[in-house]
Amino acid sequence: MKKALQLLTRSRRAGTLVGLFLLGALLSTLSPFFLTPSNLLNVMEQTAINAVIAVGMTFVILSAGIDLSVGSIAALSGVVMAERLHAGWPLGAAILCGLLTGAGCGLMSGLLVTRGRLPPFIATLGMMSVARGAALLFTDGRPISGFDESLRWLSTGRIVGIPVPVLLTIVLYALAIVLLNRTRFGRYVYAIGGNEEATRLSGVAVGFHKTLVYVLSGVTAALGAVLLTARLNSAQPIAGMMYELDAIAAVVIGGTSLQGGLGTLGGTLIGALTMGVLRNGLNLLGISSFLQQIVIGLVIIAAVLMDSLVKSRRR
Amino acid sequence: MKLIASSRNLLFVSIAAGGLLASCSAPAPQPGAPAKPRVALVLKTLNSPFFIEMQTGAKAAADRLGLDLVVQAAEREVDVEKQMQIVENLIQTGIKALMITPSGSREVIPVLAKATAAGIPIIVVDTRIDAAAATAASVKALTFIGSDNFEGGRAAGAELVLQTNGKAQVAILEGIPGHDTGDSRLKGFQEAVKDSPGIKILASQTANWERDQGFTVFQNMLQAHPAIDAVFACNDMMALGAIEAIAAAGKTGKIRVIGFDAVDDARKAIEAGTMAASVAQFPGEMGRMAVESAARVLKGETIEAEQRVRIELIKKIGGPR
Repeated sequence: MKKALQLLTRSRRAGTLVGLFLLGALLSTLSPFFLTPSNLLNVMEQTAINAVIAVGMTFVILSAGIDLSVGSIAALSGVVMAERLHAGWPLGAAILCGLLTGAGCGLMSGLLVTRGRLPPFIATLGMMSVARGAALLFTDGRPISGFDESLRWLSTGRIVGIPVPVLLTIVLYALAIVLLNRTRFGRYVYAIGGNEEATRLSGVAVGFHKTLVYVLSGVTAALGAVLLTARLNSAQPIAGMMYELDAIAAVVIGGTSLQGGLGTLGGTLIGALTMGVLRNGLNLLGISSFLQQIVIGLVIIAAVLMDSLVKSRRR
Repeated sequence: MKLIASSRNLLFVSIAAGGLLASCSAPAPQPGAPAKPRVALVLKTLNSPFFIEMQTGAKAAADRLGLDLVVQAAEREVDVEKQMQIVENLIQTGIKALMITPSGSREVIPVLAKATAAGIPIIVVDTRIDAAAATAASVKALTFIGSDNFEGGRAAGAELVLQTNGKAQVAILEGIPGHDTGDSRLKGFQEAVKDSPGIKILASQTANWERDQGFTVFQNMLQAHPAIDAVFACNDMMALGAIEAIAAAGKTGKIRVIGFDAVDDARKAIEAGTMAASVAQFPGEMGRMAVESAARVLKGETIEAEQRVRIELIKKIGGPR
């Protein structure tokens, strides 16, 4: 049974990867501009922010939760970091302050879910509004912009020709994959998502680990905010609206089940890339903005449809 | 194994369907004919009549001048990062000129720097870019095409003073803070009423350019200040929301509403007497002038750094005094 499940998740990810390559092949025949080194780097750079935020979202969804607050948390931690930078703090300290803000928000959501017994949907819906309001209040609604080169380098820098945000994303995924697959915490996340009650009965501190999942999600949202702020050279309190939906879409396209317990980070990365490639390709082809939304929606639906089909056949 | 194969097939089918959709609407290549120069107009959004009219004006001009015009917009007006992605992607397609209505005056600068590095001439439309940030990033826009929002705000303020004989309890619905367009309209309005001691501004808050927020924000203002008898909204969407709130409070006809943009619904409201006036901009002309400027740039002509588009105060003929 376990073997069959493993095979299934692995093949599901392979299917998504094949889908991504197919999409790429299609786009490269439709547009001469798609398959160029500069455009491929361009796509990866554009995907970085969503991919980073989707890391935390993957953990949350694997634990059978959901986090609607990541976009707002990104806005709040972005403006907090920006304000500290303008106050003259060194880059590292300011980033840490932003990450702590994200962690704090995540901790609150996590405690509401575990101690307050709120459904994750409600707890993070509340946090979405609170963090957004806090960001607007903190900045009086105005963006904080203009930073020195050290922050900007996180967006514009290149190491052996590869954009820094892309490298950071790869490093983050490497670390997160180790955390998910090689540590007790990671195994518990899968277990909690698979069967929370059974996990509790086998003596795992479910509440603690679940709370940690939301903290992690807050931290990756804040990391996304660092990249976003560097990219725009500005931190906006209205930034990141609906980023939660992009992150959820990346996770779901990547084959992680919304019921929890089943899925991979590699799949999420492929999911995020699929969305990035799709947006990029549709832009290159000069397709109407309205049609683009339809196509992206159809791809999300197709991916989930595939999941439910697999499940119903398994039964 | 079979079920996995079929699930893959499903993805294949869905992607193929997407591709089909794509190929239907992609401009067909014209063999033989010399390729038209490709220019891009990147709007804030296509969810508002203002930008749709701009698109229409631009397309007509592009057809006339023989340019291949691509129009793209982000899903949400405030999403400057998506706008950035669109511009990055268009740079990849080798566009010869970029016309843009920036979603953020400062936030758009990094991507304009990329366009500059790629040697693409930039034409800014409707919303100004931040001059200091542009200079710092060595971004140079060839021209700015837009209405003078400060003047528009001033015209709205002057009209209010005129219609109320300089006595009014005013509420203001502001645009998104930090946006040059809304800020300028607000400043112009404040400038116009500052010498009339009878004009009292009781409340001033943002409703984020949106109709539903205009409704709720104004409803709340009315709760706090029942004496309000005039509203200035920095765009018509918020003004129309306020008009609904006025109707809900049973105060239609007792509160004067002045909006901005003179969109169709606002013109109807003015005709019906529920709105006192609105400042008209001419987005279609902005689109036309932007494309004409792009065509001139492509021919190597120099263009003026600043091109003003007229504004006009719209009110009912023989309307309220």
